[in-house]
Amino acid sequence: MTDYRYIGKSITRIDGREKISGAAVYTDDIDFGANLLYAEIVSSTVAHALILNIDTSEAEKLEGVVKVFTGKDFPYKFGLYMKDRYIFAQDKVRFYGEQVAAVVARTPQIAKMGAELVKVEYQELPAVLDQMEALAEGATILHPDLGDYPHVPWFFPKPGTNVAHWRKTRRGDLENGFAEADHIYEETYEVPRYAHCAIETHVAIGKFDYSGRLTVWSSSQSPHTQRNLFAEALAPMGLSQKDIRVITPHVGGGFGGKAGVTMEILPAALATKLRGYAVKLRWTREQEFINTYQRLGVVAKLKLGVKKDGTITALDHKIYWDAGAYVEYGANVVNAVGLSAIGPYRIPNVSIDSVCIYTNLPPGGAYRGFGYSEMLFGLESHITTIARQIGMDEIEFRRKNAILEGDKTAYGAAMNPNGLLEAIDKVTKAIEWDKEYKSTDPNKVIGKGFSLFWKAPAMPPNASSSAFLKFNEDASINLIISGMDIGQGYQTVMAQIAAEVLGVDPSKIRVETPDTDRNPYEWQTVASHITWSSGNAVKKAAIDARDQILALVERVYHMSQDSLYLEDEAVKCHNQASFNLPLRSFVVEGIATKDGSYRGGPINGRGMFMPEFSSASGDPDTSQGGHPNVHYTVGAGALILEIDKDTGKMKVLKAAEAIDAGKALNPDLIKGQITGGLLQGLATVLYEDMRYDDKGRLLNPNFTDYKIPTAMDVPDEIIPIIIEVPQPDGPYGARGVGEHTMLPAAPMIANAVENALGIRIRSMPITAEKVAMAYKKHREQ
Amino acid sequence: MAFSHSFEYFRPGTLAEALSLLDQYKGDARLLAGGTDLAVHIKENMATPPVVIDVKRVTDFPGSRVSPKALYLNASTTFSDIVNHADLRKAYPMLWEAARSVASVGIRNRATLAGNICSAVPSLDVAPALLCYDAIVHVASSSGTREISIHDWFISPRKTACLGTEIMLGISITAPAVKHSGIYLKQGRYRGEDLAQAGLGVLITSDLQYRLAYCAVGPIPFRARAIEAVLNGKVLTAELISSAKAMVQDTVHPITDIRSSKEYRLHICEVMLERGLKAVEQRLNGAEFDSAEILGG
Ligand SMILES: Cc1cc2nc3c(=O)[nH]c(=O)nc-3n(C[C@H](O)[C@H](O)[C@H](O)COP(=O)(O)OP(=O)(O)OC[C@H]3O[C@@H](n4cnc5c(N)ncnc54)[C@H](O)[C@@H]3O)c2cc1C
Repeated sequence: MTDYRYIGKSITRIDGREKISGAAVYTDDIDFGANLLYAEIVSSTVAHALILNIDTSEAEKLEGVVKVFTGKDFPYKFGLYMKDRYIFAQDKVRFYGEQVAAVVARTPQIAKMGAELVKVEYQELPAVLDQMEALAEGATILHPDLGDYPHVPWFFPKPGTNVAHWRKTRRGDLENGFAEADHIYEETYEVPRYAHCAIETHVAIGKFDYSGRLTVWSSSQSPHTQRNLFAEALAPMGLSQKDIRVITPHVGGGFGGKAGVTMEILPAALATKLRGYAVKLRWTREQEFINTYQRLGVVAKLKLGVKKDGTITALDHKIYWDAGAYVEYGANVVNAVGLSAIGPYRIPNVSIDSVCIYTNLPPGGAYRGFGYSEMLFGLESHITTIARQIGMDEIEFRRKNAILEGDKTAYGAAMNPNGLLEAIDKVTKAIEWDKEYKSTDPNKVIGKGFSLFWKAPAMPPNASSSAFLKFNEDASINLIISGMDIGQGYQTVMAQIAAEVLGVDPSKIRVETPDTDRNPYEWQTVASHITWSSGNAVKKAAIDARDQILALVERVYHMSQDSLYLEDEAVKCHNQASFNLPLRSFVVEGIATKDGSYRGGPINGRGMFMPEFSSASGDPDTSQGGHPNVHYTVGAGALILEIDKDTGKMKVLKAAEAIDAGKALNPDLIKGQITGGLLQGLATVLYEDMRYDDKGRLLNPNFTDYKIPTAMDVPDEIIPIIIEVPQPDGPYGARGVGEHTMLPAAPMIANAVENALGIRIRSMPITAEKVAMAYKKHREQ
Repeated sequence: MAFSHSFEYFRPGTLAEALSLLDQYKGDARLLAGGTDLAVHIKENMATPPVVIDVKRVTDFPGSRVSPKALYLNASTTFSDIVNHADLRKAYPMLWEAARSVASVGIRNRATLAGNICSAVPSLDVAPALLCYDAIVHVASSSGTREISIHDWFISPRKTACLGTEIMLGISITAPAVKHSGIYLKQGRYRGEDLAQAGLGVLITSDLQYRLAYCAVGPIPFRARAIEAVLNGKVLTAELISSAKAMVQDTVHPITDIRSSKEYRLHICEVMLERGLKAVEQRLNGAEFDSAEILGG
């Protein structure tokens, strides 16, 4: 095993002091002076309607209102993977809460008062609030122009229907596979929509100055992608990428909700019509719930065939996604899962239909896990049940079918190296799976739940990262990159990578938040790809700097580069122990020679990474042939659940989760992800639930009735387990773990409830109420 | 956070000033205590009072007094004041537990008991305790003071017997003459702060008198007198508890809302009754435990 100085060490977060002390600047903290204006959005009060008229006259009369805008001012489309939405609604609104107009005023209060004065006249259309209804014959069509929408080549919309994309994956011979099975089990599982609930709501400020430059400050996971989408949408106004600058200060949580572009397009667009002013828009908590991306809802129909010995012979997995009114981002969630709905199993005969369906609910989009949580809820519930049905231990069943290196994925590419079996074994041991757990309280029972998980980054094949690295006089370093530290510790880990290559302590490396004018390109901080992808770019930038240093020393001192190495901020030599050239003596100023002239000069490194092997061009009918996913990260989890039989209240007494990080660059940060991710996953299964009325209005756009866990709801004990089977193309063998940690939570709970009470709940969330009522019914029967 | 509603704001320093402002703006003024209820409503345009009179700086509310025999809590009393009061906890455990179950520390530092009962929402947590202890609400207007029994206080959701020209001064309780104990059980959706799906206060005395009051399961909080009648004078047995439980369906008439279905509320009311009776009896006999665990956390 290689001995590393900084890699694999739990270095304290380099942004910790800044955040703890309050020094960290967030978007809303920035002072724009007297020329700051405030925007308030007029939102649709109906789920589906034609806009007949918008009367802005009363609002315009209000003192302090600067201007009122409607869709007419911005007839421009935008979108990441499919351009299916407008900056403001044009002739139609498609969800309750959609932006219809904006009032820009001198103060937030006047803007809000103005927005209440804008009168919108609607002619209501039938609202389609359920994806299965949207698929039915004669359903109202939300996007009659679907056939005209530009989209990435790997999407397959069905114009004339509400199907925005249909990912089909076919392998082997399904009929034969089911014929070979001794036992077949079919069931349907349902998962509702969820909200990210980042503590910082969305906020952005746009400023268009008299030189024709548009600057947008935003709380975002995707500065470069935002710049590109703004440029695409605002191109008719003569703006190009170079004219647009996106600055993203620290972010107060993202979870996928701040990927791509949602409300940020509004202040960006508004600013272009208010030259010289800064225009700020900040979502309230209610707007945060209603008009950003939401996690998509799912109805999954599963049919699994197994032999008596537990071998899986066939899987038919049909997943119907409630993707909302616009699917410009959400359709890729559907796509990702459509390629991966076999779970981490070796299955020879597979059919997957992952169907992206328009509904008159808010747009679905990225959410930590990118569809895999929803898919795994059904699949891992199903696996536990089918193992029991054939009288096999569920862990043995999983071990037997676990996907191994070289096995074929659903789209036919070989599975990457992974430690799935090790994860299963370590979790089983840590949770003491074979132990009899029994409550001493007669009102309570205890159950055990297990689940495997996997997930791949879902990205375009050419998603890339880049890095600049510059040395300062004292050999400290500015690392200039464009990923976002959304709590995962990105900045720290990138500093560790540069530190390892250059022999400079991470505490001497400063990583700043991005500014697209100055920081090099990064696709987005999503998909759990940033450690892997940006890490590779940073490593290359550091190697580039090191190569420059060693070449310079070779040139000046005539020493072979092969004999030189970097350590303790100095160049050292394997052959000459006394040689010690401090970096600070030359990395900016160069090395002085005898005649008083200097050699070298400032050392600046640059690095780039793109997965050149990736390709999204599989066969549209089977998905065979391409290499859409760069790799999968796998793991296993188990928990011990105490349930009050009468109230249904549940408490996780102990949970263990193992994840194959390839290489844990910073073990404490991974443990943090396991704890936080598990808690977020448990919240989605135990408490959270977006509830809509029959008009498509969200009933709980607040924390009073949308429950996210508090410190009191954390499991008593969480055992984080790190597995390290290196990812060959990852920096020091690392691969991503950020999203994955929440994936097993829901099926673990469902499986534990069945284990304890003998009832199988197939719809999320699994609240105390649902458990109590199901058990009451079960007892009465 | 922007409020679109504008209002005139007064912050009187004395009761007399506050009352004269109320008279001056008859019906147009709303009193503001901790604001944890009213401010939220103004923000959401659910309340649009032309005038807001902040009573936080009123210094001459009659003083609070706590003894095992009787208690008076004035309108300035916050939930944190109650939670931090060791003597109150000992003498009136049900009231203490209700106060502790309200929201979280930050809200409790501002939220007052007065604002709680004046808000008169169906789920208000201190109502069962006040109903079980037969509290008296003291109110004042410019023409004098009057006492209102807590049993006459709640009229309908968000409506109390307190008139628009009156200020609530405080509440008083006289403890039962014999040894007694109480408990408040609150069913929420998780362990963290939550509004009640159902709440139950149970009071027991050493001469076997029982008082039961529910909140969050009807338009106003109420005493379950029919069930009390079945229990009074009797020693708790499994059989007695079953017959009490059997009456819940006819006594409690909850609705379905975002927090719970009607069916679950009914079911929980039965579970609470059984566990509450058993626990309060143990407490009367000196047992010490955290009531938050009784329903499974
Ligand atoms: C996050 C959160 C969590 C909450 N959780 C709970 C909970 O768990 N349980 C619960 O019961 N409540 C809860 N509440 C509601 C609220 O906090 C309580 O009702 C609180 O006691 C209100 O007190 P206040 O002093 O803030 O009242 P305010 O908001 O100031 O006033 C409330 C009402 O009382 C009137 N009022 C105030 N003082 C007087 C007076 N002296 N005379 C006459 N009228 C008066 C006001 O005009 C207003 O109508 C919660 C609120 C929030 C924001």
